[in-house]
Amino acid sequence: MSETELDPVIHAQARLRVVATLAALGPGDRISFPRLQDTLDMTAGNLSTHLRKLEDAEYITILKTHEGRKPASYVELTSRGRLAFETYTASLTALLRGTTP
Amino acid sequence: MTDDGTARPTGSAPDAAPGPSPEPTFDAAEGLRIIAAQTAKVRSQEPDARAIFAAWGVAWLVGYLAMYLTATGRLGQPRVVEGVDQPASWAFVVFALSIVGAMVFTIVHSTRANTGIQGVSASFGAMYGWTWCLGFAGMSVMLGGLSRAGAGAEVMALAANACACLLVGVLYMAGGAFWQDRQQYAIGVWIILVAAVAVFAGLPHTYLVMAVLGGGGFFVGMVLEHLRRRRSATAGAGFAGAGRRVGA
Repeated sequence: MSETELDPVIHAQARLRVVATLAALGPGDRISFPRLQDTLDMTAGNLSTHLRKLEDAEYITILKTHEGRKPASYVELTSRGRLAFETYTASLTALLRGTTP
Repeated sequence: MTDDGTARPTGSAPDAAPGPSPEPTFDAAEGLRIIAAQTAKVRSQEPDARAIFAAWGVAWLVGYLAMYLTATGRLGQPRVVEGVDQPASWAFVVFALSIVGAMVFTIVHSTRANTGIQGVSASFGAMYGWTWCLGFAGMSVMLGGLSRAGAGAEVMALAANACACLLVGVLYMAGGAFWQDRQQYAIGVWIILVAAVAVFAGLPHTYLVMAVLGGGGFFVGMVLEHLRRRRSATAGAGFAGAGRRVGA
């Protein structure tokens, strides 16, 4: 593969922040939409847009559930998403070192 | 590279099209900085082991010291039961309140930090939390049995302390093993060592050993955790690895 083919799904500031946040949780952990929104300091609409893209790429799954009577959503990085993030991080590190991954 | 993202970094390129949603480009260093910043943000929202260690350090120091000072007559008159100098009744109350206070603090602090997180960590945390509760409940019943079988005041006081510390030490070690947290593991080992020394020190010195070495152990843990955080903050690294949590 030739040099800088960074994953376009992740290589956008907002989505990188989303994925980095999800990857910082342990494997198998999911975070509620409001808490994720709070951690990222993004608007609900903006976050939803990016989550949809990540979901389309199968990098995340969104679990829709109910807490009492209120609907609640939980977001989790899939193993595919975690792998993509690790590959992306390795590519950035390699770029910085001036070598190809 | 443009996309339909919206976040704009400070000082974005001046020649970027003024469209509704230009995706700012960034270089590798900036990308890694973003990752490190988000990781640090997530870590900062996790339970703070320093606060939990501090709460338990204070609880043990105050609680056990009250028991020691009253049992030796340095604070009020010693109460003699079965030929053994016992702590004053109010010292037991101070001890109980200290422990319950630290327990409530730990539960509230951890629960608040874990709100909105589900999955593997949460279910482990819940089971681990219940292990503490059920372990102590079982221990209390067993101690009741020992007393009923005729164990005297001195044996009961020593056994209660030893059993409680053994349970605490083992649970810290188990937590440390699960979370791969050497500090937590080391504190567990230390508590068991201190409790063993405390039994042989005999009453009322048991209480002094627990206050100084036991309570002190938590303060050392707090300082070590603080140094560890400072190191990993200055290294700016650490975006790998699972969450670090600490139990009661």
